[in-house]
Amino acid sequence: MRFPVSSVTVRFRHVLAGLFLGLAMPLAHAGSATAEAPDLADDAATAMSWLERLGPALNMTSYRGVFVYARGDQVHSMQIAHRFRNGQVEERLVMQDGGSGEFVRKGLNVVCVLPDRGRISLNEVIPSGPFAEAFSSQLMPFGDWYRPQLVGEDRVAGYDVMTIALTARDENRYSHRLWLEKNTGLLVKSHVRDADGEVLEHFQFTSLEITDDIADEELEVQTQGREITRTLQASDASQSVVSRMNGWTLNWQPEGFMPAAAPRSGKGKAVAFSDGVAAFSVFVEPVGSLKMPTGASRVGATTIYMREMSVAERPFLVAVVGEIPPRAARKVADAVEIDDILALELSER
Amino acid sequence: MDERLRETLSAMMDDEADELSVRRLLSHGDQEEIRGQWQRWQQVRDLMHENHGPADAVDVAVAVREALDGHVRPARSADGVPEAPGGSYWRWPVAAMVVMALVIGFGAGAGWDSQTVEPAAPFAMTEPADDQALMLSAAVEEVALQGLDEDQLQQMRQYLLEHAQHSSVGAGRGSVGYARLVSAGGGY
Repeated sequence: MRFPVSSVTVRFRHVLAGLFLGLAMPLAHAGSATAEAPDLADDAATAMSWLERLGPALNMTSYRGVFVYARGDQVHSMQIAHRFRNGQVEERLVMQDGGSGEFVRKGLNVVCVLPDRGRISLNEVIPSGPFAEAFSSQLMPFGDWYRPQLVGEDRVAGYDVMTIALTARDENRYSHRLWLEKNTGLLVKSHVRDADGEVLEHFQFTSLEITDDIADEELEVQTQGREITRTLQASDASQSVVSRMNGWTLNWQPEGFMPAAAPRSGKGKAVAFSDGVAAFSVFVEPVGSLKMPTGASRVGATTIYMREMSVAERPFLVAVVGEIPPRAARKVADAVEIDDILALELSER
Repeated sequence: MDERLRETLSAMMDDEADELSVRRLLSHGDQEEIRGQWQRWQQVRDLMHENHGPADAVDVAVAVREALDGHVRPARSADGVPEAPGGSYWRWPVAAMVVMALVIGFGAGAGWDSQTVEPAAPFAMTEPADDQALMLSAAVEEVALQGLDEDQLQQMRQYLLEHAQHSSVGAGRGSVGYARLVSAGGGY
């Protein structure tokens, strides 16, 4: 299902925005270099205080709108209604293009409706792990790994915003740029950029209305189709990480990345790491009949690096997936060490 | 050209037009105008991606009709789908849309960077990957997705999904997380 004219203009606006962005980038760089000299510390502190509002604002602001998400060649747009009332988050997202479908969330209860089409199997799509709270509850000292900086003021989707840059302090992570609405701190636009300033991933509201006046009907499932409900479990991250990392260790990871909420991988040996801004997951699995190639692929800011290794004459596949540069992903994959015990345990099955 | 046709054309560029509207577009009186619009948009898009596609040389309507009528044009360059000079990957949006053959994994790698680094030894899988296999850098070899079979793409997609589910959705970034999830799961 397609929404008429507006989505077309969105699409092309995005394309053009991309063009202009590309053109404007060198200028922007030159400008910020000269402007940032005074009040540097002040600037960073202000930026940090804005960032502290980001997490709470995402949940506790009520709004409706349409946003566009682009990485690589892919562009998706989604319609969202989000309401915070009586301490509970309710939201509904409707895909605007490609495979239609919707997510509806009431607190920890998520309903996902997808017309029976395409190749997505339903249980793949539903987030099965801890939802939004897992990471946002722990504000990490990411100032150590990124240089926060107040870039200036702007307007996005009709709202005044503050623009904040998080520039990576080393080459193992990407830089980010965030646009936060001035009154609420709501994230209305974001970029992930590589060291050359190229935008790898682009998220942006194209229409937005921040309002507490969101009717119950806007949060109801409306698509006809197969429906799947799942209750999200509150996370128990610290405990599960320990047990999940049994069997293998990382000898190296980019500074600042800490084990975070553990993915509930079917085969169980996966761990996610986060530096408070970016995240990557490490999967370690015995190789069955399926052989995977060695090397990296990426879409937008997301890299997937795979390699096979052998322990006690048993082949394992190591996959590192995340919003980190390919070289970093490779270094992480190369740093995985599998215990003989795990190899033994698995081969006994 | 009215707004609806323009929308269909735009949707075609994004692989999203439905068959009915594409047929409507094809029966539009002024094919010249439609072709012109398509080519202009295509050029903008190619400029952005720095691969100068063969938009000028292709009669969109004929190929689209063929696709709709069941003459499947494979997504790959093997049999005469025009290929851009310089080896960049030219995908055929409507065929992709209609036939769904492209919807393996990530649209057969359509969304993936084929960056402008020098060509290098491709990773050979079921069949020799062609010159689309490029190196990300000297240090990291890039997997040519076109060479992967369905199971392998499925496995990669599974990894991307799990990562998106657990870290991005949870990364305190709200909607960005959903978007990553949908992007990883769909590819279309």
